[in-house]
Amino acid sequence: MKFENVGSASDQYKAIDNALQAGTGFPDVAQFEYFAMPYFAVANKLADLSLLGAGDYASDYVDAVWNGVHFNNTLYALPLDYGQVVMFYNQDTFEKAGIAEAPTTWDEYYEAAKKIRALGDDYYISNAAGDIFLIMSLIWQAGGQPFSTDGNSVKVDFSDANTQKALSFWQKMIDEDLVTNAIGNWSDDWNRALNDGTLATQIIGGWMTANLPPRAPDASGNFRVAPMPQWNAGENYSAENGGSTLAILEASEKKEAAFKFVEYITHGDGVRPRVDSNATVPNISILESEEFLNLEDEYYGGQQVNQVIADAAANVRTGWQFPPFFEWMRNDWTDVSMPFFTNGEGDIFEVFANWQQNSIDYGNEQGFTVE
Amino acid sequence: MDSKVLLRKKQTNNVKNRRKQIGWLFIAPFAIFFTFVYILPIIYSIYISLFQNKLIGGEVFVGLNNYKELMADEKFWDGVKRVFTYTVIQVPVMLILSMILALALDSLRLYGTKFVRIVSFLPYGVPAIVSTLMWGFMLGTKYGLFKSINKALGTNFNPFAPQWTLVSIAVMATWIYAGYNMLIFYSSLKSVSSDLYEAAQIDGANGMKIVWYIKMPALRGSLVVTIIFSIIGSFQLFNEPQILSKMVSNSGITNYYTPNMYVYNLAFTGSQQGYAAALAIVMAVITIVIAYIVQIRGLRDTMNER
Repeated sequence: MKFENVGSASDQYKAIDNALQAGTGFPDVAQFEYFAMPYFAVANKLADLSLLGAGDYASDYVDAVWNGVHFNNTLYALPLDYGQVVMFYNQDTFEKAGIAEAPTTWDEYYEAAKKIRALGDDYYISNAAGDIFLIMSLIWQAGGQPFSTDGNSVKVDFSDANTQKALSFWQKMIDEDLVTNAIGNWSDDWNRALNDGTLATQIIGGWMTANLPPRAPDASGNFRVAPMPQWNAGENYSAENGGSTLAILEASEKKEAAFKFVEYITHGDGVRPRVDSNATVPNISILESEEFLNLEDEYYGGQQVNQVIADAAANVRTGWQFPPFFEWMRNDWTDVSMPFFTNGEGDIFEVFANWQQNSIDYGNEQGFTVE
Repeated sequence: MDSKVLLRKKQTNNVKNRRKQIGWLFIAPFAIFFTFVYILPIIYSIYISLFQNKLIGGEVFVGLNNYKELMADEKFWDGVKRVFTYTVIQVPVMLILSMILALALDSLRLYGTKFVRIVSFLPYGVPAIVSTLMWGFMLGTKYGLFKSINKALGTNFNPFAPQWTLVSIAVMATWIYAGYNMLIFYSSLKSVSSDLYEAAQIDGANGMKIVWYIKMPALRGSLVVTIIFSIIGSFQLFNEPQILSKMVSNSGITNYYTPNMYVYNLAFTGSQQGYAAALAIVMAVITIVIAYIVQIRGLRDTMNER
């Protein structure tokens, strides 16, 4: 077996796309993020895994995860890791700002944001205000369903009440300068701000558990993990941000063997080493195991963070679907959102309206029927 | 010369033909290489530029539609305008700097010329990714050097604010290529025969006059070459903005910031290879035309000089 790392996610998609077009040099198995899988599925580039017996594993996943590996009612991948959204917060910074407990609702989060902002120029409750995956997870959690796909007809519509509720909230946070867009995720500035405690929270996928310690070594013991703040008190919904799946390419000539490998990684002896190296796996068998749940993480002050992670995975809101051209949309987002997030022109509603229109135009051009 | 022509005329047609065939054989290795590496890819690009790639339906022949659409594409022209502005300002500034540096090194009035020569050329050897990361830190206002500068001066200047990003990129490019161009100028100056300087001294020319009447004309040929190289390089601006867009947020770098970035994003995230190919070809034509005009003008002046 040959393993090739052709770079990070979107570089890899490009490499696979190119190899498939060339008809040679493509792998049998490839890793796709949940939002990218439909792009390959819609063009018949992925094998139907139910034909290989993958359907048997349905009981090991909660609905939202299982839903995420389907497209047009066909099973195209098996979940590898997951991005159930939780809130990482810096308790030290919270204390400094006089916040006794982690916010459980978005209203409390807003109040907390004001206190943190009051600490000084560099202090913000969150960064990457224009990060599409952050905004998407707010919409997802609120119950917005802006996308749906049925065959070749796709819907992109941000006008539903739940989506608008999430957008209004975020607009308020931006208007009052409570979140900053000057620090992007994955940048060096991000690491430094997490490290020195000026960024108080991250609303992000559970995989951040393993990503935070190397980025913010000095903040060891300060961070805690809590569920995502809720839209209504008493609710318990999460969303998904990141995480990836394993799929088999339709062009593969060794699908049976390839599936054996996928099985090994997602369910066989391949799972344990991944869990031990801090991968956030979505398998119920892992999430509900005592060993996993009771693990105390020193970096998080000895907190049993997996309790929160597992709970979030079980409560990711169902019904979400990514459109088959989200990879393009996410690129277009950069351009369409820039006037607002960088120059302060217009508002978030205008950005989403433009984005919707661009996506509809692109989708129709690409042969879909988009409304 | 005359005798050679006569000799050739005496040869029979038969021999001529055989010679021609042998000639082809001699250039065959190059011709085959040239065809596969240059000609075929260009023809292939033109071919795919006539198709539209659809996620549903695959490739569809659309004739010149991609070109028509491109002519009306605001994003494309925005990028072209940007690299054009960039070229018009960055290239002259950089080349004047390079020239001053070359003249200074050639004047023999400085100490440590070897050291200066190597140090100023060194940036050219640094990979663009490394240099962009480095400049990114230096010009960063959050934690970089500019944070300290702003603090010390009480200012609030951000080199990566949308209106300044292009200037920052120009600074990076100048840093990388000024030494490289200096070396080309310097080698031209070195090839000036010392007789000329002696003659000038005997005629009583001072330093400035030597620069003006001997050194500047000697630089003319290499100036044309460096201008053409720089124009082509600037029009293909890609590495720096591509890396910066990931590194710094709020820098104003869009996916179509430069035509090359637009091609890349069209082909690889939008699966619009046909359209991307059309864009690449139009861009190549624009670049060739501009480089050609510079070359003709530059060389004509050089010819007149002689």
